[in-house]
Amino acid sequence: MTDPLLKIENVVVDFKTVTGKVNAVRGISYEVARGKTLAVVGESGSGKSVTARAIMSMLADNARVGADSKIWFDGEEISNFSELQMQRIRGNRISMIFQEPLTSLNPIYTVGDQVAEIIQVHRPMPKKEAKEEVLRLFKEVQLPDPEARLGQYPHEMSGGQRQRVMIAMALANKPDLLIADEPTTALDVTVQAEILTLLKDLQKSHNMAVILITHDLTVVEKTSDDVVVMRYGEVVERGVTREVFSNPQHPYTKHLLASEPKGRPGPLDPNAPVLMEAKDMRVAFTLAYGGLFSRKKTELVAVNNLNVTLRKGETLGIVGESGSGKTTLGMSMIRLQDANGGQILFDGKDISTLNRKELRPMRTRMQVVFQDPFSSLNPRMIIQQIIEEGLIVNGIGANAAEREEMVAKALEDVQMPREAMQRFPHEFSGGQRQRLAIARAIVLKPEFILLDEPTSALDLSIQAQIIDLLRDLREKHDLTYMFISHDLKVVKALCHNVIVMQHGNVVEAGPTAQVLETPQSEYTQRLVNAAFNVTAA
Amino acid sequence: MTDTSLNAEAVSASANLSYWQLVRRRFFRNKYGMVGFFGCLFIILTAVFSGFIAPYGPETKDRTAIYSPPQSVHLFAPEGGLTRPYVMGFTEEMNLVTYEITFVPDETQQHPLALFVKGDPWTFLGMEFETRLIGTTDGSIVHFLGTDSLGRDVLSRMILGTRITLLMGFLVMVAACTIGTTVGVASGYFGGRFDMIVQRIVEFVKSFPDLPLYLALVAILPRRAEPMSIFIMFAAILVLLRWADLSRELRGKVISIRSMEYVRSAVAVGASDGRIIGRHIVPNTSSHIIVWATYQLPEVILLESFLSFLGVGVQAPMVSWGSMLNQVRDFQSFASAPWLMAPVGMIVISVLAFNAFGDGLRDAMDPYSND
Repeated sequence: MTDPLLKIENVVVDFKTVTGKVNAVRGISYEVARGKTLAVVGESGSGKSVTARAIMSMLADNARVGADSKIWFDGEEISNFSELQMQRIRGNRISMIFQEPLTSLNPIYTVGDQVAEIIQVHRPMPKKEAKEEVLRLFKEVQLPDPEARLGQYPHEMSGGQRQRVMIAMALANKPDLLIADEPTTALDVTVQAEILTLLKDLQKSHNMAVILITHDLTVVEKTSDDVVVMRYGEVVERGVTREVFSNPQHPYTKHLLASEPKGRPGPLDPNAPVLMEAKDMRVAFTLAYGGLFSRKKTELVAVNNLNVTLRKGETLGIVGESGSGKTTLGMSMIRLQDANGGQILFDGKDISTLNRKELRPMRTRMQVVFQDPFSSLNPRMIIQQIIEEGLIVNGIGANAAEREEMVAKALEDVQMPREAMQRFPHEFSGGQRQRLAIARAIVLKPEFILLDEPTSALDLSIQAQIIDLLRDLREKHDLTYMFISHDLKVVKALCHNVIVMQHGNVVEAGPTAQVLETPQSEYTQRLVNAAFNVTAA
Repeated sequence: MTDTSLNAEAVSASANLSYWQLVRRRFFRNKYGMVGFFGCLFIILTAVFSGFIAPYGPETKDRTAIYSPPQSVHLFAPEGGLTRPYVMGFTEEMNLVTYEITFVPDETQQHPLALFVKGDPWTFLGMEFETRLIGTTDGSIVHFLGTDSLGRDVLSRMILGTRITLLMGFLVMVAACTIGTTVGVASGYFGGRFDMIVQRIVEFVKSFPDLPLYLALVAILPRRAEPMSIFIMFAAILVLLRWADLSRELRGKVISIRSMEYVRSAVAVGASDGRIIGRHIVPNTSSHIIVWATYQLPEVILLESFLSFLGVGVQAPMVSWGSMLNQVRDFQSFASAPWLMAPVGMIVISVLAFNAFGDGLRDAMDPYSND
C-alpha cells in the first residue's frame, strides 16, 4: 500500500452543551491513500460527519478537539495549522460535498459565479478564463446543457443537478482529497445511482482520495475500497470492504448488514371486503404567475383521475419519485387535503362531501403517520399529552387514569418503555420518534393508516425495525395500510399491491411481486434498477 | 433484530429537561442577561414597595425648603473621625443684589440617619404602616435628591413614580400582547379573505404618523377628567398603536407552524380549530411573544416619559418619571435646580435593564442553540 494521503489518529471531539459535555468522537483513527475510496459507515449520531468536519477544522464553536488528536495530510500535520493556513487547504486541496444540495448553494448568485469564485479565490485568473474553467467543469460533471447552466440560479435546477454543481465546485481546484458527506441521501433513488457513478468516474480520472460518509450499505459495497464502521464515536470494525461484507467480525457490523428490509407481507384474505375506495380522484393546484398586470394562471394536476381500491387488511404501496403526486393522493383520500373531484368511499360511506365537523367521527377510524419524525411531534408537549390528544378530542376514555392506561398500551405496542410518557420529543432519536408517531395513530384503534414515507428520514437499520413493527401491528390490530414511498426495497417487504405513479398518473399497478419482477414500463424499470442494483461501476 | 443492545437508539442518556428548564439554564449562563434580570427585579421591587422605600409621600410639601439642593450624606464628623451617617441642615441666605435664595450647609445642625425609622404612614394592600426604610432619628426632614418648586422630596416622588411608569408599561404591554396575539394568530391560522382584511387594518394602523396622533388624541381627552381616567385612556391610546407589530410577526410564524406536521396530525385526530390554536399553535409561539413583551416595556417607558414630559401624558396629582421631568421644561429651572433631572437616571437604568433582560431571554429561547 502506498503512503496514505490522509491519516488521522486518535481524534477526539467534545461538544459543550447546556446539558453537559457530549463526547461525539472518541479516538478515531483511519487513513486513506490516493486513488482509493474509504467509506465511513454508521448511523446518525455515530460521529462520522463530526470527524470529517474536524479534518477540515470546520467544527461548531462549542466543539473542542482533543489535545492528542493528530491529523496528517500529505506528510504535513495539519491538526495545529492556523485558520489562515487551513483556508489555503480547504476547497483547494481538500474539498467537501454536503448532504443537502439545496441549502449548500447560495440562492442569490448564479451557479456559474459561485463555482468561478471558488476557482478565483485559490487561483487568481481573469474572469473570462475562470468562466471557461467552469464550463469545462460543468461538462466534466455531465451537467446537461452546460452553457445555459452558467447563468442559472440554484432554484432553477433539480436536486440532482444541484448536487452535480456542488461536485463541480468541489473539483474546481483539483483537490487531492474529496470528502463526500452523505452526497446522495437527499436525492431520489434514480438520481442517486447517477451521482455515485459520476463520483466514481471522477475519482479515477483525477486520482483523488475519497472519503465517503454514508449510512447506506448498498452504496458502500458498490463504491468503496475500504470501510470503517463507526458507532457512538468509536470505530467498531475496519478493513477491506469486500472482506468486511463477506465476513463481518463485530456484532454491530453484522447487525447493520442484516438490517436490509426483509421479509414479505403476511397473507391477504382474497375475499376481504373493500374498506376504502377512491373513484376518479383529481387534485389540481392553481399557480399564479406573471406580473401584476399580466397575471396568468396555470393548473398543475397533481393527481389525475385515479382509482384506488383498498381491501380490508391490505397494504397498498404508492411509489414514485418526488413530485409524482403520491403524497397528495394519500392526503386527499383521508381528507387532509381538498380534492377537486372524485368520490371517496370509506366502509361504504361517501366521505368526499362531508365537512370538517361531519368528518370528526370518521377521524378515529383513519389515521396518518407523517414522513418527518422531527416535525410531527409538538415540541412543547410531553409524550403522554401528544398521544392522549386524540383520545381527549374524541372523548375516548372516561377519566385520566383510563386514558393513561390506553397510552401505555399504545407505547407497549410500539415497543417503547412506559417511562417515555413523561418525556419531551427532543429527547428521542428519529426512530423512536417515528414509533411515538405510530403510537399516536394506533391509540385511536383505527382501521386504516396512511403511512407517508414513514421510513425515509431514518437510518437503514432503524428503517428495518420500523417495517417489522408495522407488519406486526397490521396482524395484531387487523390494520389496512396505504404506504407511500420512493424506496422499492421497503415496499417489497411490506406491500401486497403497488401503484407506480408519475406526474399524477398511474404508470403501473398490480401485485407487488409481479410489478417488481416484471416491470412493464420504462419508468418502473428505472426505479427497480435504482433500488436493487446500484450500478456504480 | 430484536436484540436491542445493538439498536443504536437504545442508549439515549439524555437528561430529562423540559424546554423551560433548558431556557433557564441557558439564561443563567448569560452574564449580561443576568445583570439585566437583577436590574429589572430591582425596579419592580422598587415599584411594589415604593411606600416603604420612599422617605416621604408624593405630596408631602416642605415649605421651608423650596428648590433645596440635595443633602449629601456625611460619614466623618467635622472634628474628624468616623461617626454614624448624618446630614447637615441648611441655612437660607438671600443674595441682596439678585434676591436669589441660596442654601448653605450648616455644620451646627447635624441630623443622624437610621434605617427603619418611624415616618409618615403609607398603605400597602389596604394595611397601614409607619415604618420607612430610611430617615433621621430626630424627626427632621431630609432631602437626598433635593426638592422641587413646591418643596416636595424629589427622591420620594421618583420612587413613587416608578409605580405609575411601570404600571403604564405593563398595562400597555399586556393589552397589546393580548390583542396582537389574538389578531395575529387568528389571521395567520384562518388565512384567506379574513387574513387579507386584518392585514390591511394592521397596515392602516401602522401607517399612522404616531407622534402627531398621540398629541392629537391626548388633546381630545377631557381636560377636567379624573387623572385616573386620563391615565387609562392614555394607556389605551398607546395600546391602539402598538399591537400591530406583534400581530404581523405572529401571523408569519403561525403560517409556518400551521403547515407543520404536528398541527396536521392534530387535524387528523379531529381536533377543533380552538383546540389546535390553544394547544398546538400558541404554545409554540410563546417564546416569541415573551421576548417581544420584554422589548416592548422599555419602549413604552420611554414613550410615556416623553409624552408626560411634554405635559400631555400622565396628569398631576399622579406622579411618573416623565411628569416629574415636565418641571424642568424651561431653561431657568434646569439651570437653578439640575437635581430635578434625577428621573432621567431611573429611565436610563430601567430601559437598559429591560433591554438586557430581553436580549438574554431571546438568546436563551433560541431553539437551535445548545451550547
